[in-house]
Amino acid sequence: MRLERGLACAALLLFGQAGLAQNPDKLTSGPGATLTENKCKICHELQHIRRTPLSRGEWADNLKNMRERGTPMSDEEMAVILDYLAAYYSRDPAPPAAPDTLAGTGGDPVGKLLDAHACSGCHTLDKRVVGPSFREVARRYAGDAGAAARLAAKIRAGGQGSWGQVPMPPAAGIADADLATLVGWVLQQK
Amino acid sequence: MDESRRSFLGGVAGAGAYALLGDAAAQDKPAATPAVPPAPPGTVDNAAIKAEKHASMQYHSERPLTGSVPAHQHDFDVTPNDRMFVRNNLLTPDINAAQHRLTVKGLVDKEVSFSLDELKKGFPAVTLQGMVECAGSGRSNYLPTASGTPWGQTGGMGCPKWTGVRVADVLKAAGLKSTAAHVAGQGGDPGMIATAAPVIRSVPLAKALDDQTLLAWEMNGAPLPKVHGYPLRLVVPGWVGSASTKWVHTLNVLDAPFKGTYMTSSYVTPKFQVEPGQKMPPDTVSTEAWPVKSMITFPAPNARVKGSERITVRGRAWVGQGSIDRVEISVDEGVSWQRAALGPRGDKYAWRTFTFDYQAPRFGYLTFLARAWDDRGNAQPMAAGWNPLGYFWNGVHRVGVMVEA
Repeated sequence: MRLERGLACAALLLFGQAGLAQNPDKLTSGPGATLTENKCKICHELQHIRRTPLSRGEWADNLKNMRERGTPMSDEEMAVILDYLAAYYSRDPAPPAAPDTLAGTGGDPVGKLLDAHACSGCHTLDKRVVGPSFREVARRYAGDAGAAARLAAKIRAGGQGSWGQVPMPPAAGIADADLATLVGWVLQQK
Repeated sequence: MDESRRSFLGGVAGAGAYALLGDAAAQDKPAATPAVPPAPPGTVDNAAIKAEKHASMQYHSERPLTGSVPAHQHDFDVTPNDRMFVRNNLLTPDINAAQHRLTVKGLVDKEVSFSLDELKKGFPAVTLQGMVECAGSGRSNYLPTASGTPWGQTGGMGCPKWTGVRVADVLKAAGLKSTAAHVAGQGGDPGMIATAAPVIRSVPLAKALDDQTLLAWEMNGAPLPKVHGYPLRLVVPGWVGSASTKWVHTLNVLDAPFKGTYMTSSYVTPKFQVEPGQKMPPDTVSTEAWPVKSMITFPAPNARVKGSERITVRGRAWVGQGSIDRVEISVDEGVSWQRAALGPRGDKYAWRTFTFDYQAPRFGYLTFLARAWDDRGNAQPMAAGWNPLGYFWNGVHRVGVMVEA
């Protein structure tokens, strides 16, 4: 018992904000947490998840309901999100926080940034989800000498109207170097 | 696993080469993005909605916006606009009333469409008081916690006065076909994304034709506040709030209940009672009229009262079909019950005020329980039957006070 608690505390320290309810933009760290955050945040706060632990069957119903209501989410994504929610927001005791092994990793810096800044909830490389695909973005900026600066400004401040009426939230806290990485990568995806 | 992740990222997982662009990725700082994205154009900002609400309004979520006041802030015969609960499924649209139209289509002799002025001039206006209560009102009483907006013990309802025209009159103008069985309301509330399913709910024809079912443009004598459906909404009093479509622009007459996520996956209860904490079974029924319910609106919880003075407990009782027969109060946690006095009977689906005059026999903490009965012999249970979406909580309400010297 004491050992378990010690492990849980260590895990909490290791995996940062994960277990702290104060951060409205984070769920407990675990496999699938980032995907869950990024899909659910498209429409609503994460508080809707945090406030009510449910059984696996209830979460499955919830996800089915959310997809019927319009969440862009593939079967594979839904399966990952269900496994995550059924483990970490369960009516049974949750496992200790763990690294999100399904999110972008250190060896895949762009994927990691896309996940960390919630880009991947709405954008993919080649398919329009909520926002344009990265290839569409790159094609629109092709041959534009000021593209990098303008795209960087748009990511940082958020935007709306270029691709439709759904606003893109600002990535206000993104580090300059991370922003440069993302912009450089996006503009090469023609 | 690697393969599946690749598909989530739409193929960007192979982007490792760009590590050369910087080691920034190693920092892994959470983005300082807001908890909810900004509101799209054509919608009303939550701050503007909240500015018109009473300070006691407790908000459960921003997106969608949900909020209600506690029971002791409901101590009014008619719910004022600033205490009316807020429960959106999507965003609050900012609609130009001059351009708004209501279309009646489906199983009608002729499809018709009315501007707001045409509705006001073409049909007799009616003002009536009627309950609108979210199906999940009181959800946080359920143990274990049920899925959905955690309305407080008594949250998620109100009983204002509505002014509008009868849905029955408008349907008659279009002419109902003999196969007409359900009427679906659709409102102009947009979602965050283009794929958001429209909120469409249908009610059986008999309820649509009820002389209390309205297309309303006023709430308590003023134009509907934007969050409450400006410029036009359905009011289906006594039934779950989702039937009272806000921002309504279409009535679609159907031969069967509308089939859509807000009819089949939400606003349903199990046909047979399930074990608490279990998922929705395949056999479900649509939520319709609220069962008999009451709440104590005075005194406030844990109020200090003088032992030398009589206490007048006050509250409201209502039922979604039929009428209130009596309200009883218990001061011994339900062992014995005494009749409360009922105020005058108002409109068919309005709540009814009750009072109970009491002299506390001793100092110390004292609890009042209220239990309403309807005219069909139904009473409020101590706890409502658990259901996966936490609907229809109508357990007796308890308020405690401290009796002091």
